[in-house]
Amino acid sequence: MRLTLQWSQVNAVRAGAVTRLVGQDLEVNLEELQALGEADPRLQRVRLDLAHPGESCRIGRVFDVMAPRAKLDGGEDFPGVLGALARAGSGRTVALANVAVVVTDQQLQSTGTLALIDMAGPGAALTEFARTHNVVLSAWPGAGTGRSEYLAAIRLAGLKAAVYLARAAGDRPPDHVEVLDLPAPTRVPPAAQHLPRVAYVFQIHSHQRPTGVDEGILYGDPIRRMLPTLVHPNEVLDGAVMRGFMGRNATTYAIQNHPIIRALYAQHGQTLWFVGVVLTVAQATEPERVRSASMAAGLVAEVLGADGAVFTKIGGGAPHVDMAQAAAQCEALGVKTTLIVEDMSTDGSSEGMLLFNFPGLDALVNVGSSQEVLTLPAVARVLGADDLAPTIQGEVSTSYTGLCGAIEQTGASRLVALIQ
Amino acid sequence: MQTLRVVCYLNQFFGQLGGEEKAGVGPDVVPGAVGAARAVQQALGDAGTVVATVRCGDNYVAERDATAIAELVSLVTAQRPDLLVAGPAFQAGRYGVACGALCAAVQTQLGVPAVSGMHEENPGVDLYRRQVYIAQTGGDTARMLDEVRRIVGLGLKLARKEPIGSPAAEGYFARGLTHNVLTESNAAQRATAMLLAKLAGAPVTSEVPLPTFAPVPAPARVQDMRRATIALVTDGGLVPRGNPDGIEALAATRYGAYEIAGLTELDPTQYDNVHRGYDTTYVKQDPHRLVPVDVARELEQAGAVGKLHEVVYSTTGVATTLAHSQRMGREIAAKLKAAGVNGVILTST
Amino acid sequence: MTPVAVMVGANRIVPAAGIIHPMGNAELAPAEEKALRRRIVERALQALQADVAQPTVFKAP
Repeated sequence: MRLTLQWSQVNAVRAGAVTRLVGQDLEVNLEELQALGEADPRLQRVRLDLAHPGESCRIGRVFDVMAPRAKLDGGEDFPGVLGALARAGSGRTVALANVAVVVTDQQLQSTGTLALIDMAGPGAALTEFARTHNVVLSAWPGAGTGRSEYLAAIRLAGLKAAVYLARAAGDRPPDHVEVLDLPAPTRVPPAAQHLPRVAYVFQIHSHQRPTGVDEGILYGDPIRRMLPTLVHPNEVLDGAVMRGFMGRNATTYAIQNHPIIRALYAQHGQTLWFVGVVLTVAQATEPERVRSASMAAGLVAEVLGADGAVFTKIGGGAPHVDMAQAAAQCEALGVKTTLIVEDMSTDGSSEGMLLFNFPGLDALVNVGSSQEVLTLPAVARVLGADDLAPTIQGEVSTSYTGLCGAIEQTGASRLVALIQ
Repeated sequence: MQTLRVVCYLNQFFGQLGGEEKAGVGPDVVPGAVGAARAVQQALGDAGTVVATVRCGDNYVAERDATAIAELVSLVTAQRPDLLVAGPAFQAGRYGVACGALCAAVQTQLGVPAVSGMHEENPGVDLYRRQVYIAQTGGDTARMLDEVRRIVGLGLKLARKEPIGSPAAEGYFARGLTHNVLTESNAAQRATAMLLAKLAGAPVTSEVPLPTFAPVPAPARVQDMRRATIALVTDGGLVPRGNPDGIEALAATRYGAYEIAGLTELDPTQYDNVHRGYDTTYVKQDPHRLVPVDVARELEQAGAVGKLHEVVYSTTGVATTLAHSQRMGREIAAKLKAAGVNGVILTST
Repeated sequence: MTPVAVMVGANRIVPAAGIIHPMGNAELAPAEEKALRRRIVERALQALQADVAQPTVFKAP
C-alpha cells in the first residue's frame, strides 16, 4: 500500500473572509466553519476560538484533538465515520503541519475527566498541543441530545473541521511530501530477508467501558466484540482508526500521527522489516482476555511471522494485563516483545507500577505517572471552558493525566516516570 | 548565597557523651558543632553553620519511640534550622532508626529538609528510605569525612530546593518513588530502539522493573494435625459490626484481631465487611464464606485438628501497598508464632 | 487470582470457590454449601501437611 502525505507548513492562523492558505498563513472563515458545525441538529450552537503557541491561554474541557487531513482525488475522509466506507491508507492526503482542532465537551457536569492545554508556561513544555495553532471548537448540545449522541456529534464536528481546514491547502504544491510505501508482509525482497520482522500490536479500546452504538473506532465500527485483527499501518495513519470517547491519555491526533508506526517506518528496510499491525481490544472478562491474547499472539507469530513486536495499550490498569498476556504468549512463541506501559502505582512507589509479572517481559518503556500532580500558573485567558474560568484561570493544581498530550499511551509523549 | 542554619543530630557516642553505658541518656542540645558534627561543619564550609548539635542516647529513643522523637523535634525547632543532618549512623541500628524517625518528623512537622546517612544493612534504611533521603555509607567511620561530604552535599541541594539526581549519581538509597521527567525522545522511539536492542541480543534496561518477589522458604509441614493449632486469617475485609479498629476500605495499613473463643459460628449480624475490591454481599450474608469458623470448629471437635486458634486476624487486601502488606504479614505471623500456632489458613479474595 | 499468589511466593495455595465467596457458594443449598466449605478446608489442611519446596497449587482432585 502506498500513501502520499502532502504536507503544508502553517506558521500563523487567523480569522479571514475566505478560508485559504496564503504562504504559510492559514486564514479561516470562522463563520463558515461554525455553520458547518451547527448544521448538525444534535448541536445547537458552535463557537470557534483560536489559540496560538506562546499565548498566556488555557484551553479547558478538552475532549479530543484532531489533525487536519483531507483526501484528494475523491478519497473518503475518516471512512465509516465522516466519509463513506472505503479503504484508507492509499492515494494522496493533504495534511497541515502545526495546526490542530481541539474539541471541547460542553455537556459534562463533573469535569474531572476532561483535560487542559496550556499554550505557554510550564504546562506547555509537556504537550505537543502547545506547539500547534489550535482551532478550538466548542459546541453545545441541542435540546434532548443525550450523552452518547452529543459525543458523536462533537467528534464529527471536529473531524469536519479537520477536513475543512486541510482543504484550504487544496492541491497546491506541498512544502514537503512524505511517501509511506509498505508491501504486504509476504513480499520481502531477497536483500532484506535477513532483517528482523517487526509487528505492532495496537490495543485500540478497553472494554472497561463499553462503546456506544455510534462510537465508531475502526472504520466506524464500535468494535464491541472485536477479536484480534490485522490492518496495514497506512490505514491507521489515514483515518481508519479513531480514539473512542473515553480514551484517557490518548488523542485522535496521536493516532493520525502514530508514533510507533512512524518509528517503525523510519527503520523499515534498514534495521527491521515492518510486517503489519495487529489491532486488539482489552477485554472485560478473563475467558475473553485469554482468547484475545492467544489469537493476537497467533497473528503475530504464525501469520505475520514476526521476530519482534511492540505493544501499546489504552485505558487503565486491566488493559495492562491484557497486553501483558498477549505479549507473554508471543514471548513463549519466540517473539521478542517491548511494551509501553503507564505507571499504575497509587502511592508513587515503584513496586506498585505494574500489575503483572510475566517472564520475558523485561523490556518495558513507561509514559509516566498519571497521578503525579503539578501546579500551573495563572493565565490571561481561558478558552473552551467559560463556566470553569473562575477556577481554572488562576493557579491550578492538576495531575499529569489532566494535561492533554502530556501522556499519550501510543508513545507520542516524552514524559517518563523515573524511579528515584 | 545565604548561609544556612544547620542542626546536627548525634547519638551518645558520636556526640562524645560516652559509649554504650550512656545509651540511656536523655536529649540535650549544645551550641555549635561537637563531636562528629564537626565533620559536618567542615563539609559545609561557608555554605552553612552548624548552630547546634542535638544529642540523645540510643536506648532512650528506642524505648520511648514517638515521645522521644517529639522531645527531639522540640529541641530542633527551637534552633530554627534550614537543614537537619542526622548521623551518619553506619551500622548502628538503634541510631539509624532514630535518625530516620527524627528526619521524617522534622520534614513533616516543621517542613524543614533533612538528610541522613547509614549502611545498607541498617534497619533505618528500610524503614525510612521512602520518606527520607539517606546517603549510603560504609559500615564504619573509615571513610567518614568523604561520606559526610556527600551527605552534606545532598542536604544542601535539598535546602536550596535544587533538583536531586538519581540514586546512583548522588549516592543515596533509592526511595522507590516515581517522578515524571521530560526526555529527549518519545516513548515510541525508545520502545523501538529497545526492541531492536533486544532482537540483537544486546542488554536492555527496562524503564519499569518487573516486581520481583524473593522466594519465601516454605515452612516445614505440620507433622501431626491432630495436635496442631490452626489459625484463620483473611484479607477479605471481615470486621466486627461498626469496624471498631477502623480498618481502611482501601490501601489498608491496619489489621484487626477478633476473638472467636467459644464460638462455633460467626453470627452475620455481629459482623460487617469493608472491602471495596469485590462485591461483599455474599460474605456479609454468611461470613463463613470468607472465614470458615463453623467447619474449622467441627474439625477441631472431631479431633481432626488439635485446636482452632481463638483469634482471627483480618484486613482488607485492595490497593494495599506492598510495604504495608509485608509489614502486616510479619506482625501477624509474629503474634501467631508467639501464641503457639502451627499452621494458618489465609482466605484471600 | 492464583497467579498472583504464585507470583508473590506463597508456597501452599488452595484454589477456592471464587472471589466473592471463596469458602462457599450462594447458589447451593446450605447443607451442600457447608459440604463444599468443608472440602476446601480439608484440602487446606492437607496442604499444610504436605512437603513443598516452592509455590504449589493444591487443586481439587
